[in-house]
Amino acid sequence: MGLYITATYPDSATFLEVLNRTRGIVDFYEIGIPTSNPKYDGPIIRMTHFKSQLKGLEAIKIANYEKSILMGYIDDYVSSLDTVAKTAAEVGASAILFPDLLFDHFNRLNDYVVAMRRHDLRPAFFVSSKTPHRIIEKLASLEPLFIYLGLYASTGTKLPVYIERNVSIVRKLIGDTYLVTGFAVRDSSMVRALIEAGANGVVVGTAFIERMSDLGNAVEFLKELREGL
Amino acid sequence: MITSWYNISADLPRPLPPPMDPYEGDSRIALLTRILPSDLIDQEFTAERYVPIPERVQELYERIGRPTPLRRARGLERAIGTKAKIYYKFEGALPGGSHKLNTAVAQVYYASIDGAKEVVTETGAGQWGLAVAIASALIGINAKVFMTKNSYINKKQRVLFMRVFGADVSPSPSDLTEFGKSTLTKDPNHPGSLGVAISEAIEYAVKGEGRKYIPGSVLEFVLLHQTIIGLEAMQQMPEEPDLVVGCVGGGSNFSGLSFPFIGSKLTGAGFEKTRFLAVESNAAPKLTRGSYMYDYPDTAGTLPMIRMFTLGHDYVPPPIHAAGLRYHGAAPSLSLLVKDGYVETRSYEQEEVMEAARLFAKSEAILPAPESAHAIRAVIDEARRMGSGTILFNLSGHGLLDSDAYEKVLRI
Repeated sequence: MGLYITATYPDSATFLEVLNRTRGIVDFYEIGIPTSNPKYDGPIIRMTHFKSQLKGLEAIKIANYEKSILMGYIDDYVSSLDTVAKTAAEVGASAILFPDLLFDHFNRLNDYVVAMRRHDLRPAFFVSSKTPHRIIEKLASLEPLFIYLGLYASTGTKLPVYIERNVSIVRKLIGDTYLVTGFAVRDSSMVRALIEAGANGVVVGTAFIERMSDLGNAVEFLKELREGL
Repeated sequence: MITSWYNISADLPRPLPPPMDPYEGDSRIALLTRILPSDLIDQEFTAERYVPIPERVQELYERIGRPTPLRRARGLERAIGTKAKIYYKFEGALPGGSHKLNTAVAQVYYASIDGAKEVVTETGAGQWGLAVAIASALIGINAKVFMTKNSYINKKQRVLFMRVFGADVSPSPSDLTEFGKSTLTKDPNHPGSLGVAISEAIEYAVKGEGRKYIPGSVLEFVLLHQTIIGLEAMQQMPEEPDLVVGCVGGGSNFSGLSFPFIGSKLTGAGFEKTRFLAVESNAAPKLTRGSYMYDYPDTAGTLPMIRMFTLGHDYVPPPIHAAGLRYHGAAPSLSLLVKDGYVETRSYEQEEVMEAARLFAKSEAILPAPESAHAIRAVIDEARRMGSGTILFNLSGHGLLDSDAYEKVLRI
């Protein structure tokens, strides 16, 4: 199970405290690189980008992230892929996930993969339920660290979508590639259903951030979610 | 009988950008759960390539006369002196006289199993409103239709027939919604537009109990249902077409016919040589002169933004007689295919379109709808240019209720 949190939200000290208090409860972190245009995120995650204490790559440099990944918008780094990859490697991240890569910069797919490998990072790909099947198959052939399936249209906003069916379809397309799922993960039964449908992992973000004003409660919530694994 | 619809997003050349919320105001994506039937939201985001058609909808398809005929337009071929073979799928054979019933029966069915007592929608020329009225009568729930004012005045028969089927019809902009009232305040003579009518229908749906909004075009599940046209045509066509043509308002009739063919081409399953031509009106030329960007599908900005070819959500098209084409945007999947060069585009003035309608009527004995006549205009021009080959187009509706267009444009 992974935890999404935007770097230095709401401030650097709280962000570091979250990492400390959740270590051992979650298996990995997805650390958001604060951006001024988190367009494909829902209202809560957007707010964390706007209210983070530091912005851009400066925000992620305040910690080290073993067995974790960064999440950013490639819009911000189209002309500086090497810079962001180098920084990610320096802070110990395993990959950088760009949710807008395939939607907005599809022709930069190869550049992204090359830049990641140049800095000993593994590529990781964000797909939606509407991503064409043969593109998903192609992404799996690039031996990514994982493929991340966004379950809904944006983070944190649940819709009446038969997500187990969509997970199962993506699973069949990617063979044994590690499949991470996320968006609006709110309870252990949903976690269990996703794993049973073929996901290897889930990421929780919005539901944790909503509880962050009482960090103890938020940590307990993560423990409850974990029971679904 | 076709038992599944075809979802082209599984085979598009690149991923379809997701719907997006603006930074200001409440989440439009979250609003979808309040206004749309659940199964339609699921279909908007399904990963399936083929989506099973519920048995009840299959029964209704049979009752309304599916499969529709595929005919060869030998009379038109002779009239224009071409050796090209011209085929058309006659969706005007359906009750209501247009392709709109294909998705209306599906959407009203899904609304009914979602517990809705009333469906709410917009309509331009009235084909969609009439289809919803018929589907609602068949399935047994109420229908509320906001009809663009210009059409409400000019298409009295469609208004009448919607009411015969039991629908409650209001001209848009109306004083039934806050958005309608504000539009009328700014311009008391506003001719109405699909964008305004959509906004009114959504507001009306949100404000009442047991109401669900159902859209006539643009959204992906609408195109999905309309693929019944192309899936049947693939079985009916005696040969592979060189060219597939349809008119575009929001994109559902063009996409309904062409997507199964385009999907086969994209996956290498056939139709390698086939070209695809989307034809629009000069009154709303989003595909030929619009921008590919995120924009609202409705004028009020109530729905999530979608990436599409658009003239801007506040664009007010001039009051032409092909009212079904007076829309500022085109469906995201169609827009992506146009953007990437898989679909060609063209736009026409209504005078040249209605001349083509007249020629088709005289040579084929069917009065085409003014919207469908845009496709006919392009077919005639292409047949003359090609000289040979095979053309397939969507005669998406008949024009027996469009006397105003024939009278005023052709000055008969």
